[in-house]
Order: sequence, then C-alpha cells, then structure tokens
Amino acid sequence: MTTTPDPLQPNLAETTGPHVQVVETEDAVQRRSKEAYFTASQGQLIWARFKKQRSAMVAACVLAFLILTGLFAPFLSPYNPTIAGKNDDYTNGAPQVPMFCDDNGCSLRPFVHAVERERSLETNFRWVTTVNEDERNYVYFFVEGWEYKLFGFIPMDTHLFGTQEGFVHVFGTDASGKDIFSRTFHAIWTSLQVGTIGVFIAFVLALVIGGVSGYYGGWIDSVLQMITDAVRTVPAIPLFMAVAAFMPPELSAEERFFYISLILGLIGWPTLARRVRTHLLTERNQEYVLAAQLCGASSGHVIRRHLLPSFTSYIIVDLVISFPYMVLSETALSFIGLGLKDPVNSLGVMLQNVTSADVLLNYQWYFIPVIFFIALVMAFVFVGDGLRDAADPYSDNNK
Amino acid sequence: MLNFARFVATRAVFAMLTLVIVSLVVFSLMEFVPGDCAERYLAFKNTQGSGISVADIEAERVRLGLDRPFLERWSKWIVNAFQGEFGESCILRVNIAQLMGDKFWISLGLCLASLALAYAIALPVGIIAAASQNAVLNNSLRLFSYLGLALPNFLLALMIMLFSTVYFGDTLTGLFSAEYRDADWSWGRMKDLLSNAWLPIFILGWSATAFALQTVRALMSDEIGKLYVTAASARGVHGRRLLWNYPARHALGPIINSLGFDLNRIFNELPIVALILTLTEAGALLIEALARSNDQQLAGAIIFLLTASIVSLNFLTDVMLAVLDPRVRKSIVR
Repeated sequence: MTTTPDPLQPNLAETTGPHVQVVETEDAVQRRSKEAYFTASQGQLIWARFKKQRSAMVAACVLAFLILTGLFAPFLSPYNPTIAGKNDDYTNGAPQVPMFCDDNGCSLRPFVHAVERERSLETNFRWVTTVNEDERNYVYFFVEGWEYKLFGFIPMDTHLFGTQEGFVHVFGTDASGKDIFSRTFHAIWTSLQVGTIGVFIAFVLALVIGGVSGYYGGWIDSVLQMITDAVRTVPAIPLFMAVAAFMPPELSAEERFFYISLILGLIGWPTLARRVRTHLLTERNQEYVLAAQLCGASSGHVIRRHLLPSFTSYIIVDLVISFPYMVLSETALSFIGLGLKDPVNSLGVMLQNVTSADVLLNYQWYFIPVIFFIALVMAFVFVGDGLRDAADPYSDNNK
Repeated sequence: MLNFARFVATRAVFAMLTLVIVSLVVFSLMEFVPGDCAERYLAFKNTQGSGISVADIEAERVRLGLDRPFLERWSKWIVNAFQGEFGESCILRVNIAQLMGDKFWISLGLCLASLALAYAIALPVGIIAAASQNAVLNNSLRLFSYLGLALPNFLLALMIMLFSTVYFGDTLTGLFSAEYRDADWSWGRMKDLLSNAWLPIFILGWSATAFALQTVRALMSDEIGKLYVTAASARGVHGRRLLWNYPARHALGPIINSLGFDLNRIFNELPIVALILTLTEAGALLIEALARSNDQQLAGAIIFLLTASIVSLNFLTDVMLAVLDPRVRKSIVR
C-alpha cells in the first residue's frame, strides 16, 4: 500500500505511524481529511475524483490494455505484419480459433486444424483450401519466430504464441496472406504514434499562439483570435485533403507517416490554442502573477514558471480529449487514399480494406480491426470525458 | 432599430473579414502545390502527343496571369470569388462555376437537411433525457453519443449498404436514378432526388445527432439545476410547460450558436460519405480534384464555398440570436 495517498480518504496509519495507538475522534478524522484535501496537489485531486467514475476507469483499463498491445505488438504477433510475413498457402483465410476438443478427443494444449491447399481436376484447377479435421497443429507459447526489435532496440525473436508446424491465424488473413491479428496490433501502434506526433505539434503551436494571445491581450489577442477563428471555420477534413494532396508521391512509407502527422498537427492547433488562451486570460489577472511581475520577472519567465504550471493538468486533459480526433482524422485521410498506404499498418488502412463488396459478402473477418478501432476511440473519449469531469472542481455540484 | 442595423452591419463586416482570411489561407495553400496550372495543363497536352517546351509553359503562365505577384493574384481571386467566379479548372479547362452547376447546392442541401434532422431528434430527446432521472435512459444516450463519434459514418454506410444488398438487392448508391441523372430540374427529378437522398442525409446526420444530443443534454441539465427553475416550479408551473418555457429557452442561445460548428462537422464527413455512396455532388468533386488530379483551382473553390456557407450560417445564427434572445437584443439596443 505505498501508492499515492488518497487525499479524500487519508490513511491514518501512514500519517501517524503504525506503532502509535491513537484514538481519533470524529472531529479529528474530519479535520485530517480536510487537511489532506486542501494540501493535495492538483494531480492528486484529479486522480481521486477520476477513480470514482466507474465508466472512465473501465475505459482507462481498456485504453491501457490497447496501448500495451500496441507497444508489445511485435511480441504478440506470431507473424511479420509486412509482406515478408505473408502466408501464400492461406490467402483470404478464415480465422482459426484455437480449440481444446474435436471429434478425435480433447487435449490440454490448444490446437488448430491443419489446412491443405490443392489444385486438381476435381477443383476445376482453382486453388481450394480445405480444413483437415484429423491433423492438429498445436499452439505453443513463447515460440521463436520472425526477428524483431522490441521498443525499437532490443533484438528478439520470441513471440507470445505460435505453432511448431503449420500456421495459426487467429483473425484470419487478408488477400495477400498477411496475418490480420499481427497487422491489427501494429496498426494500433502506428495510429497511436501518428496521433501522438500530431497532438504534440498541435500542442506546441497552440501553446505558443494561445500563450502569446492570452498573455498580452489587447490588439495582439484580437488579431490572433481572428486568425484562429478563421482557421477554425474551414472544415478540417477537406483542408487535410488539400494539404495531403500536395504530398509528393515518391515519398517512402516513413516519410509519408511523418508528413501525415505534421499535417494533422498543423491543422489541429486552433481548438487547443483557444483553450490555452482562455486559461491564460483568467489566470493572468491573479495576484501571484502581479507579484512576480513586480519582482521584475520577464514575460517569458512568468508564462513558463508561473502561468503554465497553474493549469498543466487542464492542458493534459485537453490533450487527451483531442487525441481521438487525431486518430479519426488519420483514419479518414487514409480511408480516402490520401493518408498512409497499404504496406503500412495503420487503422485507417485496415478500415480502407473492408470497403470492397467482396469483403462485405465473403471475408467478414476483415472487420475485426474495426472493432479494435472503435474500442480505441471510445476508450479515449470516455477517459477524456472522465478526466474533464475530474479536473473541473465544480463538477461535483452538478451531480 | 438603428442600433440593430448597426449590429447586423458589424457582424456582416466580421463575416467578410473571416472570409478574406480564409481565402488567404486557401489561396496560399493552392500556391504551395508543386507545379502550377500552366505546367499541369501543358503536361496534360504533352501526354496527348503535342510536344511542349519551357517557352510554351512561360507563355501559358503569362496568358493565365500566373507571372503576376502573389498579392495581386490573390486580390483578384478574392474579388472574383465574392462574385461566385472562380476561373477555370486547371485540368478540365472548364469554367468552375459551370462545372459545379447545382452540385454545390445539392451538397449544401444534403448537409442542411441532415443538420435539421439531427436537431429534430436531439432537441426533444435531449430535453427529456436531461429532465428525467432515469439512469438507464441517460447512460444509453451517453453510449449512443460516444458511438456517434467512434463509429465512423462510412462504416455505418457500409453496413446499411451490405444489409440492403443482401436483403433488397439494391445497393442504394447515387443520388439520381439513371433516367434523371442529366435531365433538367423538374418535379419528377426532384422526387427522384428525395427518394434517394434519405440515406446520405441519415448517414451524415448520424454523428451530428449524437453530438447535438450531448450538447442539448449538457446545456439542459446545467439549466435545470438553477434557482429560477426551482422558483417557477414553486409557483406551480410543472411538467412540459416548465421545461419548455424556462430552462429550454435559456439553453437555446448556446445551441443556436453551435449550429455553425455542427455544419462544419457535417462538411468534414461529406467527402467520405460521397465516396462510399458514389454520390455526384461537391464532396465527390472535391475528392476528384484533390486525390485524383491535383486540380488546385477546383479544390480551392470548393473549400472556399464550404467555408463561406459556414460563415454565412454563423452570421445568420448571430442575427437570429439577437432577434430571439431578449438578453442579446437588450445589449445591442442599449
């Protein structure tokens, strides 16, 4: 129990020491909890209020899970998600669910049935895959497979699960035989990265523009607000499309990736800038700012050391709230064909793959990444909302 | 009355100013495109077999006025844009106004219709949800609102299309039946449009409804807790009269103010829905201009028109608010 103290319910043993037998009166308990409440930092207060919201906590767990799967994507993926890991013997293959029992009895180790692919006179010389119910491919844990670098620098070749012979595609395969399970987790990671870089760029821009606008006020504020509002009126996706269309077509996958993040950031700043400005406008008339100014602190010093720390927590909340919009924008761009393209695994690319009629009617397992996408966005929205409620000191009064 | 006229005039000037800034942004973006109109046109001619030289490109540039300084071309563009004249498309070599025809108006109509649909659903449901203490109703509405954000419109469209293809054998795509596609406007064509337009309107309105619901509910539950509502109910006003006459009227202002942003959001989804449902309107034209042919003149014109309609809506809602809300009216007339 060495977690951060809950300011709303202080741990008495910790504050008084375990050896001291203190009989607390009702009054003292109340005073102590009040004391903890008033001395708690902003972060502790937000966390305490956040913990009380059930849906937000569930969403936070889902979100943490998804982020971890993204982080450990290469470890979780039994196959290389790029074209190098394609399975020529199982293209457009249905998901293989590991099972414990079949007609030939049960086994403690999960297995999938082997798949055979043949072409002969009977099949009219087309490739036909059939499931051989009598042959089992056992699924083993921590098997060695394709080589990768965990976190980008630890070389490894161990994977969470895999088979010794044959193959296991839990979510099926796509048209070129790439494992959808592996692609999904890599896609989550790519989309998160694009979103993070986008949010970061937008955030820096917003901080500078909103900060200048809110701190100086006056005509600078009016002019900057006018520009911010004008940029905000332009519909974002058409604007994204316009900028993305200028992308030189000969860019490599990585350059494209950074270009897209850059675009998302360059267009996403106005909303954030407005919030930063509003925070600054209310804070800059406070006494502590005047005190710092009277002491001769420069403007930059006051903004950096006094104003920004006073609402860091609110800014973090704003960042979390704006995150799903970045992911959604990336998806929309990739979906139109202006964002990331197929060899890259991003959620937008995965969504684009589901749009053909063939997939709709015959290969429904292409939709599995869509579920992950919806879960990711929903988790972000719920967590963002929960954080916003938690960061708002007046939210309790409404309930 | 004079004060009111002055208020409207200031708002109009502000709207114009916003449009000028937007046009600057859009125009500079168009400038950033690698290669200009002259190069693009002549490169196209090149593929047709007629060889071109650098001198040809220079001559074409002079003909199109592309050799003039940036500011001069921009001011010319903006003056023309306010008159609805956007010059010629870079690649198709057709006047843009003619190319767009009524496509832009159809798109705008679709978007406004879905906006209306969104609020027709969101206003009553949001107010009822805010007033009721029913946890199940409130939570399911909250979930629906989040789904509206997380379930992208194109997925919804895909699922509806799949369903209808499998069960009705009709893909539900397009805006006009074959016989009306290029016909002149007539009553029959109008009816045909309406019979096909419900799907795009529904899909565009889907997430707009979710957002509107959230706005209405949040505003209403803020207002319902206030003292004037308690006072009114103490005076014996109750039920629907209490809701509609007291908190709803207070919440109306912010809702009207948010209309412009809702339209913005719907415009965001227009190109994607157009792509899925193979509509032939401005959204599809925008994708055509951007994704397929890099036609900066056409793309700039469409983005400018979309923004102009948002700015006009914002202007209209400002004026509407001044007429409807006595607090705003007083502050102007004073």
